Amino acid sequence: MGHHSNWPEWVYIGVVIALMAWVGSEAWNAERLVDHIPADAEVIKVTGQQWFWTFEHEDGTIEKGELHVKTGKAYKFEVTSKDVNHSFNIHDYVVLMDAVPGRINTVWFAPTDVGEFPIQCREYCGLIHYNMRGTLYVEDGST
Amino acid sequence: MKSIFGLFLVLAILVIIPIVDYAFAAGDEPGQYVDRRVIIWNLFYRMMTVAFTVGAVVSGTIIWLVWRFRESNPKATPTPYEKEGVW
Repeated sequence: MGHHSNWPEWVYIGVVIALMAWVGSEAWNAERLVDHIPADAEVIKVTGQQWFWTFEHEDGTIEKGELHVKTGKAYKFEVTSKDVNHSFNIHDYVVLMDAVPGRINTVWFAPTDVGEFPIQCREYCGLIHYNMRGTLYVEDGST
Repeated sequence: MKSIFGLFLVLAILVIIPIVDYAFAAGDEPGQYVDRRVIIWNLFYRMMTVAFTVGAVVSGTIIWLVWRFRESNPKATPTPYEKEGVW
C-alpha cells in the first residue's frame, strides 16, 4: 500500500476528541453545581418501602405519602429503603435518586414555586409500584 | 505505529475523562442555591444540539460518500487495487 494523505482521519480524531472533551466538561460542570449541597440545607430522611414514602424532618416530624417544604430553603434528602430498591423522584424539580436498602444516597433541591407536585417511585419495586406515589406541598417561605 | 498511537490516545481520553469527572465532581465545599431544573435541562438541550449536529454531519458524509462513489457514477474511476486486480 502506497503512501497517501491521511489528514482527514486526523482531523476527524481531533474533532471527536474536542467534542468529547467539551461534552465531558459541560457535564462535569453541571454535575458539580448540582451535587454540592448548600451548607444550610435542611436534612429530610426519605425512606421508601413497599409501597409508600416516609419523610422525617430534622425536628422529628414524620410525614407519610406527603411532604411539606417551603420556598427559599434548601433541602437535602437522605434517601434509603427498607425492603427492595426504589427510586425517589420529584419530576417537576428534576430530583431523582435511588433508594437502596442499607445505603444512604443524597440529593438536594431548593423549591422556588408554590404548589403541589407529584412524588413517585421510578424503580419497579413490585405489584403496587405504579401507585407508590406521594405529594410534595411547596408552601410560601417568605410569610 | 502512528495509528496505534492514535487509537491509544482516543482510548486513554475515553477512560481518563470519566475518572477525572468522578474524582472532582463530588467535592466537600458547600454549594450555591441553584435551580437544578435549569442546569439539568440546559445541559440536556446543549447535548442534544451536539448530538443532532454530529448526527447530521456524519449521516450527510455517509450519504455523500455512497452517492459519490457509486459504481454508476460517470466520474467513478477504478482504485489502484481495482486497476491492478490486486486485493
